Amino acid sequence: MIECKTSKEIGGMGHSKKRKEDARFIQGKGHYVDDVKLPGMVYMDIVRSPYAYAKIKKIDASKALAIPGVLAVVTGKDLEQYNLHWMPTLMSDTQMVLSTDTVMYQAQEVAAVIATDKYIARDGRDAVIVEYEPMPPVMDPFKSLDPNAPVLRTDKEGKTNNHIWHWEVGDKEKTEDVFSQADVVVKQQMHIPRIHVASIETCGCVAAYNKVENHLTMYMTTQAPHAIRTVIALVAGHVGLTEEKVRVISPDIGGGFGGKVPVYPGYVIAIAVSFLTGLPVKWIEDRSENLQADSFARDYHITAEMAGTKDGQILATRFKVLADHGYTDASANPSKFPTGLFSIGTGSYNYHNAYMEADAVYTNKPPGGVAYRCSFRVTEAVHAIERITDIYAREIGRDPADLRMQNFIKKDEFPWASPTGWSYDSGDYHAGLQKAMDAIGYHELRKEQTELRKQGKLMGIGISTFTEVVGAGPSKDFDILGIKMFDSAEIRVHPTGKAIARFGTKSQGQGHETTYAQIVAEELGIPMEHIQVEEGDTDTAPYGLGTYASRSTPTAGAAAVMAARKLRDKAKKIAAYLLEVSEEDLEWEPGKFFVKGAPEKAKSIQEIVFASYTNHPPGMEAGFEATHYYDPPNLTFPSGAYICVVDVDPETCHIKIRRFVAIDDCGNIINPMIVQGQVHGGLTQGLAPAMYEELIYDEAGNILNGTFMDYLVPTAVESPSWETGHTVTPSPHHPIGAKGVGESPTVGAPPAIVNAIVDAVSHLGIKHLEIPVTPYKLFKELKAVGYFK
Amino acid sequence: MNTTIQKEFDIDQPIGLVWKALADPEYIVTCVPGASLTEKVDDRNFKGEVVAKFGPIKAIYNGDIEIQELDEANHVMVLKGKGLDSKGKGSADMIMNGTLTETDGKTHVKFSMNIAIVGMLAQFGSRLINDVSDQLLNQFVENFKAKLAGESVDTDLSAGSMLGAMAKSIFGKKN
Repeated sequence: MIECKTSKEIGGMGHSKKRKEDARFIQGKGHYVDDVKLPGMVYMDIVRSPYAYAKIKKIDASKALAIPGVLAVVTGKDLEQYNLHWMPTLMSDTQMVLSTDTVMYQAQEVAAVIATDKYIARDGRDAVIVEYEPMPPVMDPFKSLDPNAPVLRTDKEGKTNNHIWHWEVGDKEKTEDVFSQADVVVKQQMHIPRIHVASIETCGCVAAYNKVENHLTMYMTTQAPHAIRTVIALVAGHVGLTEEKVRVISPDIGGGFGGKVPVYPGYVIAIAVSFLTGLPVKWIEDRSENLQADSFARDYHITAEMAGTKDGQILATRFKVLADHGYTDASANPSKFPTGLFSIGTGSYNYHNAYMEADAVYTNKPPGGVAYRCSFRVTEAVHAIERITDIYAREIGRDPADLRMQNFIKKDEFPWASPTGWSYDSGDYHAGLQKAMDAIGYHELRKEQTELRKQGKLMGIGISTFTEVVGAGPSKDFDILGIKMFDSAEIRVHPTGKAIARFGTKSQGQGHETTYAQIVAEELGIPMEHIQVEEGDTDTAPYGLGTYASRSTPTAGAAAVMAARKLRDKAKKIAAYLLEVSEEDLEWEPGKFFVKGAPEKAKSIQEIVFASYTNHPPGMEAGFEATHYYDPPNLTFPSGAYICVVDVDPETCHIKIRRFVAIDDCGNIINPMIVQGQVHGGLTQGLAPAMYEELIYDEAGNILNGTFMDYLVPTAVESPSWETGHTVTPSPHHPIGAKGVGESPTVGAPPAIVNAIVDAVSHLGIKHLEIPVTPYKLFKELKAVGYFK
Repeated sequence: MNTTIQKEFDIDQPIGLVWKALADPEYIVTCVPGASLTEKVDDRNFKGEVVAKFGPIKAIYNGDIEIQELDEANHVMVLKGKGLDSKGKGSADMIMNGTLTETDGKTHVKFSMNIAIVGMLAQFGSRLINDVSDQLLNQFVENFKAKLAGESVDTDLSAGSMLGAMAKSIFGKKN
């Protein structure tokens, strides 16, 4: 049970409060970008390239322009006049807004059609005739590094190959020494497939430039409205759109998962057209455009190696990565982290030598590399360490749970200095795995497995015990385009004791309106029902870098605590004044200050706030509001122990997840129900790449599953009944000991599932399976080892 | 995406007649569903148009057809087709190898087609292409046989019957 310090009425931390925002969502009263309708608004649609790599010979817009209602067709040449045909990416690369001469991936933006309604815009799009001269594309990242491969980024002066960057961390020589002397070395090549966030709401915007006021209001699907405002000002300042003239509004968002962090060409074109015409321009992607053109995630080819002793002591790991970034590096990582936080890949285990390196390459695929429900490449890292740990256990004939228990960092060994430079804040990995094993009945399942194998049945048990790294991040290391990754909260309490709290983050379904209210309620004793949470409007909210990578609670949540504590200090002074005692004589309990030893002499927070407007102490500033910009001293390190049980049909290879137990440790819990909801959603998004999702391209550059007919997003039908639980190891440096949870299940689930599937067929000679493990893929592997004739 | 379709069938006609018909693009095009010749460049090069409908996707390809090999002695032909979507939404390339053999006065026709498709059709219709192509070829074979037998042929593309035939081919598969 979670202990609550506040009453149910106040509803602070630990209370399973229903989500405040759901009242509008479940009644269809949410307000999304596509709900924005402005007088005189025009609509934009985008002509996209059918080729992965081609020269544009000619764009003929005459037939489109002849359609009544089509107002304009915008090409790269038009934008070039304003130097808006290229834009910077968050990773200091460059990306075309509209191509002027060459297209670099299928579905790339070639021209934009502006019309009086969206259907006419679509007809106009189909009527634009583009002549291309196709060229053979580079689709394979390994072939991209071939000396004979065509150099794709000819726009970059002096570029002689398709290599983007090299990255490394850890002690290479020491690690090599350990490897060369180790009794056991295991090695596995694995691909973390290119997948898509596939949020329910696609991307879109309404750009509304007011020529008279020289002011742009940009309604858009963004997870980071403040950063976007700064980027717009940096890119378009030269045409007069300076930062005070730009207002970015991120209304309700139907799922972001990292896919709504980047700036897509469509946004920029809409702004440019609105700026030139003075008309509000709406652009909303359709599903296929979203899947085919917007930021993909993952696509890491990893060679993982582990060295250890014969009796199961892990000694060192070595990871080598080839990262396929598509035609430009448009990842959304903190600036100094080209591979994100991949270096968390030494996992939950106590060893001291690791070396990791990565090389990124260009191919003729869409750009991206977003942090899909993941702190920047943590999913890839966790998959590698959890798979290779299982492979090591199997190599030496050890039970994978037993081997993990032997190697875990012990709870009294924190803070733990990882061999790749992290300082893990806290954890109790033994307790988590034990709880998961007890919940699922691990030892009984192993006995059952032995029996089932005798009967020719295929059943497997898979474990993933991951350590996460979230809450980016401390200003020392973390910035995006130079802006430090702090986040902010502003609390304003009205005379009657009701509050509005504003944040630099932006909920996309996480339930901020509820959890932030609970944090403030916890600290100030004001009932959470009376704390209105607002985010997403850059004109009103304090500056912050937004919501992704499970950073909201670790950063903005902490900012709320700090701002509330400033207010509580002020409240104490007012209470002392009202009660005519000294501050030292006062004691706090949620909702009131009382005199020590005389609890009947008390002032409620509501009385205190009222006094701050009506009877504030002489010399004190009136009013009751505070702001805090929180710069975290460290990241937080949530962890989890997941166990999955699968049954594989020995004839059809159908894989059924019989049970899945997820024990998460996200530190202190703000709202258990919301955490559980987050875990359910995250587990389903972890099931996705494990068994269903992968963006598939052919050699000619066609995407072969660019619709929901072919790109398989698991639904409730495919999802097992998730069993969740938690252990609580508070973060020692976070003001309320919280760690963040949104991404843990997405990160932790895939290796648990694939470890279970491999476990089901390991006795038949299979050591590894690439995700997504589909029945057909499993069939082929079983055929290769002679199981099927 | 690339796809290969192979087909073999027998025609109850002498090989000389079948060969003459197959080797004449102007004759053969009248049997191809949705196809028409628009220009004869020379004896070996032609321009034409193919309307293809794959599920929700309709594409009109304007293309060049080249007879690369026409070996009458061995009854072997190689055709190369290259089509551009009329709206710039993609392209298709095709190589067709055909061989005729004669047994007991009947002609055995064997041909294979390699088709490479780029663009919208590949993006949206990839799952349908094999089935639809197979269906189109069946229709072509029927038309060809009928025409050789002196009957009239219908080369219209009918979405309704196409879908119906396709569903039949998908659900009626034996392998």
